[in-house]
Amino acid sequence: MVQNLVNSICPFCGVGCGIGLVATDNNIISVHPLNKHPISQGKLCAKGWNTAFGISRHGRLTHPLMKIDGKFREVSWQQALSHIAKSLKKFISESGPQSVGVISSARATNEDNYAAQKFARAVLKTNNIDHCARICHSPSVAGLKKTLGSGAMTNSIDDVGKADVIFVIGADPTENHAIIGGQIMQAKLSGATLIVVDPRQTRLAKVADLHLQLNIGTNIALLNGLLNIIFNHNWQNEDFINQRCEGFSELKAHVAEYTLDKVAKITGVKGEDLVKAAKLYSQANASFLAYGMGITQFVSGTNNVIAVSNLALICGQIGREGTGINPLRGQNNVQGACDMGCLPNVYPDYQSAMDQKVREKFTQAWGTEVANFPGLTSLGMSHQAKDGHFKGLLIFGEDPVVTDPDRNKVAESFKVMDLLVVIELSMTETAKMADIVLPAASFAEKQGTFTNCERRVQLINKAVNPPGEAKIDWQILKELAKEMGVPELMDWKDSEEVFHEMTQLTHSFSGISYAGLQQNNGLQWPCNEEHPNGSRCLHAKTFPIGKGKLIPVDHAPTDEVPDSEYPFWFTTQRLHFHYGCGSMTRKSPLLERETPDGLLFMHPQDALDLGLKNHQGVAVSSRRGCVETRVEISDQVSPGLLSMPYHFKEAPSNLLTNNAMDPGTEMPELKVCAVKLVPLPENQPPRSSELSDVGIGEQYA
Amino acid sequence: MLNHSYLLKDLDILKQHLAKFYSMVQIEKDANGEERWTDQSDPDTVGLFGHKHLPSTSPKGFLFAEKEALYKFDGETFESITPQVVPKVLFGVQACDLTAIAYQDKFFKQDPYYQKRRENILLVGIDCESPCTNGFCAEVKAGPHVNDNTADLVVSRLTVNGSNQLAEWLVIAETEKGQNSIKGLPLDKAHKAHFILRNRLLDKMRSEFADYSYINNAIEYLNDNAVPQHLWEEMSVRCLSCSGCTNLCPTCSCYSTYEIAEKQPDNVISETKAVKTETLRVWDSCLFEGFQREASGHNPAQQAAQRVERFWFHKFSDEYLTEFQRYGCVGCGRCEQTCPGTIGVHSVMKRINQECCS
Ligand code: SF4
Ligand code: SF4
Ligand code: SF4
Repeated sequence: MVQNLVNSICPFCGVGCGIGLVATDNNIISVHPLNKHPISQGKLCAKGWNTAFGISRHGRLTHPLMKIDGKFREVSWQQALSHIAKSLKKFISESGPQSVGVISSARATNEDNYAAQKFARAVLKTNNIDHCARICHSPSVAGLKKTLGSGAMTNSIDDVGKADVIFVIGADPTENHAIIGGQIMQAKLSGATLIVVDPRQTRLAKVADLHLQLNIGTNIALLNGLLNIIFNHNWQNEDFINQRCEGFSELKAHVAEYTLDKVAKITGVKGEDLVKAAKLYSQANASFLAYGMGITQFVSGTNNVIAVSNLALICGQIGREGTGINPLRGQNNVQGACDMGCLPNVYPDYQSAMDQKVREKFTQAWGTEVANFPGLTSLGMSHQAKDGHFKGLLIFGEDPVVTDPDRNKVAESFKVMDLLVVIELSMTETAKMADIVLPAASFAEKQGTFTNCERRVQLINKAVNPPGEAKIDWQILKELAKEMGVPELMDWKDSEEVFHEMTQLTHSFSGISYAGLQQNNGLQWPCNEEHPNGSRCLHAKTFPIGKGKLIPVDHAPTDEVPDSEYPFWFTTQRLHFHYGCGSMTRKSPLLERETPDGLLFMHPQDALDLGLKNHQGVAVSSRRGCVETRVEISDQVSPGLLSMPYHFKEAPSNLLTNNAMDPGTEMPELKVCAVKLVPLPENQPPRSSELSDVGIGEQYA
Repeated sequence: MLNHSYLLKDLDILKQHLAKFYSMVQIEKDANGEERWTDQSDPDTVGLFGHKHLPSTSPKGFLFAEKEALYKFDGETFESITPQVVPKVLFGVQACDLTAIAYQDKFFKQDPYYQKRRENILLVGIDCESPCTNGFCAEVKAGPHVNDNTADLVVSRLTVNGSNQLAEWLVIAETEKGQNSIKGLPLDKAHKAHFILRNRLLDKMRSEFADYSYINNAIEYLNDNAVPQHLWEEMSVRCLSCSGCTNLCPTCSCYSTYEIAEKQPDNVISETKAVKTETLRVWDSCLFEGFQREASGHNPAQQAAQRVERFWFHKFSDEYLTEFQRYGCVGCGRCEQTCPGTIGVHSVMKRINQECCS
């Protein structure tokens, strides 16, 4: 039993902590923290510590499976791939390349993501390539692209420790990005002032100097109100505005109507607290602003991001150490999946797919004609499927049936597709609906790179062999390209070759090699001739679009507001101990034990009014569906607001959530809708909504 | 002791000798600069020793496995799984971790899995020469020199702070196992003078520690039940239940067992279908809310404050002195480094001291 010790990166969230894997007998038995890692410095959160369970051999897919007469049967790779290739070719020739697509994964490596978009664009000749960022941070990409020219976190994580004021809005970092959350708590302990803006009383809110507990969905009113206070007191940074921004007078005129009284009324926050927050943020030497999905998951998501950007620009709190606009991204490699071009409109490094020159560049480099019509988002693909125009989809490591809004519609669209291929670690809800399921290698079973939220590209290393016949995503695509008759397009020998090809075709990554990553404990892009050691802080002298744009935006009510029929506000949240659809974290008996009995958080007052006992069963319904679960009485939420974590397939919050969308980005309004609630008789346990439990899985099988 | 004490010029001679009989476990540094206890280390690799190299992960896992199968059930019969062990030497264990192992020996006295591994391990301790970053072993009587009867062999460098005329290394065989392990090595006997020198070095080193008196003050407050509830509450908001402290703490010993059934998902038809279950045990953490939750749902430690308080009570309460003859904390300082919420041992004891003496 030789012990194999391999350093890698935690596969859970966008913080990207260093993690040491301990393997014996080709099994990861434990992990340990890495003291020398620049971000985690010897720390991990509960998810990180429990990594070994998530990728244990137990419950893993080991063979390609094909559904025959409603049951999966093991088949050879050859059978599976040739079936897929034949079908794809048929769809393309009959209905054109618009009829096929790929959804890649924010959990997969940069190499896998690069391969996925190349497979779509060069082999299938389609821009129908997407991944899940849409439901986390697409408004960040869109909003910050407009105001700054780049959608990534502007500063570095350890800038938290260099800030005088830390302003956290719509993010719950101690639960979702625990190691950043810890650094924020530590910074506060060593003297920084902490302001938290959140409708829930999060852990950070408890330790904060100032908690603005706003009504849900009133971010823009609050941010515009802060701007107005700042202008009224002349607290803005004139020099910065003059030199680096445009649109100042329009913005100033626009926010004038957001008077203190009006804003206090809309947001429910006391006027004096608004003034305090405005003063603290604007007057500090360095203010670090972080936000999360409490900003993005709204129909006004893009405008929310713009409002955040306005505040930072007006105060000149950007472009220096300890400042910045810092979106905290969810999944471990959501940054990388975007960077690699797993979006319908951009190639790697955000080169526009609409730009003829870009297409020519890639046509030349890849030696084949690339896709030349606009692509569909994942949502677009499901819509087209329902209309019969979309036939074949490959999904890598995503479980949209659990995580997407409005699960029933997603499930229906999968049902009508002619071919659904799911490449996964284990039999997820989505995989159950597939025609073919291919076994994938986990992060511990391959080499590659992840890019964390501070743009740090980091190496992961192979500690164990994949179970059974499982393969790495890019290898699967390479084999599939061969079956499709174009072996030369994706003929890489290892992940380093994939990475190298990518760096040759991008500017931001052109200075990065595996050797450099190994030597430097990762490198932050842009890393190229101008920035050979990478970039800790963006926009020091200028923005990618020249001057920063101040864009007036208006408060608008959320798509749904409570009424007499659906009287409660409903929001979604994450639990510290779980991640995504729970398919990895729920394998840990320790983390599973931490799941509260009740999954619907409710203020004690509401429980009293309804005569509900803690953990009593309830049926929650919205205009879209109904879920049964138990209540968890908690003062985290304010009266009238119910909150539910989205990790649990037996009580999927996405049966309830609204799919009204942010216009530009198709970001669904996951953060808020209206629901009603009916208590179940006291001893009646809630029914599970797991697909297979309610028979949907069977029905589609 | 003098009877079983020797002098050694080159530590490598001892190591190579032991490597003939034992699989080598020593501290190595990897390409990223991480230092850790490395199993099946090549004896020709130069290991790292002493205070400058206390790995963040203690050697606890070599005795109390982080995850191990206890028994199997194949549908008909139960089969116990005994750990497969080979004789190992842990070469160069620091005093704090040795004290912790002696503590665990008591806790796991009746545990066959622990004992099976323990019997096959030879502990070679090393005296530390200077305080390490977060360590306060002297404050809790766990070091800096190896405590009596916690190792099989102790090696102590006598040339600290320049050369002396006497010898390079003092080697003390503390147990019969230790004595046997060096049989056949031609070693000169040590004299009283060497022990006097060792003690002098110890005194000197003790004086080099920072002022950690807040730790013993806080221990007193803890035992007097003088720590106000609001302080526990304030500190416990910062506990993210990551389990880092309990995983890294060399004296933490909580575990859970769980069962896994080996079977394919129902809707898969497979050639290789056999239902087996295996019972595993894994390290657990008392900082998890679910740790003490009973089947009825009742939980004596539902509040984070109760859990954090209990953890520190376990480390520093006089109540455990009868059973273990010492505190549960050996002063390694690991929890300080790993706690994302900044409530490791120094942070907590400082705050208790500040709060209670003001
Ligand atoms: S904070 Fe994120 S990256 Fe770090 S250990 Fe936790 S889940 Fe992993
Ligand atoms: S409580 Fe902390 S300092 Fe004490 S032995 Fe455990 S890890 Fe080391
Ligand atoms: S290391 Fe800190 S945060 Fe983690 S469980 Fe221990 S006390 Fe809690």
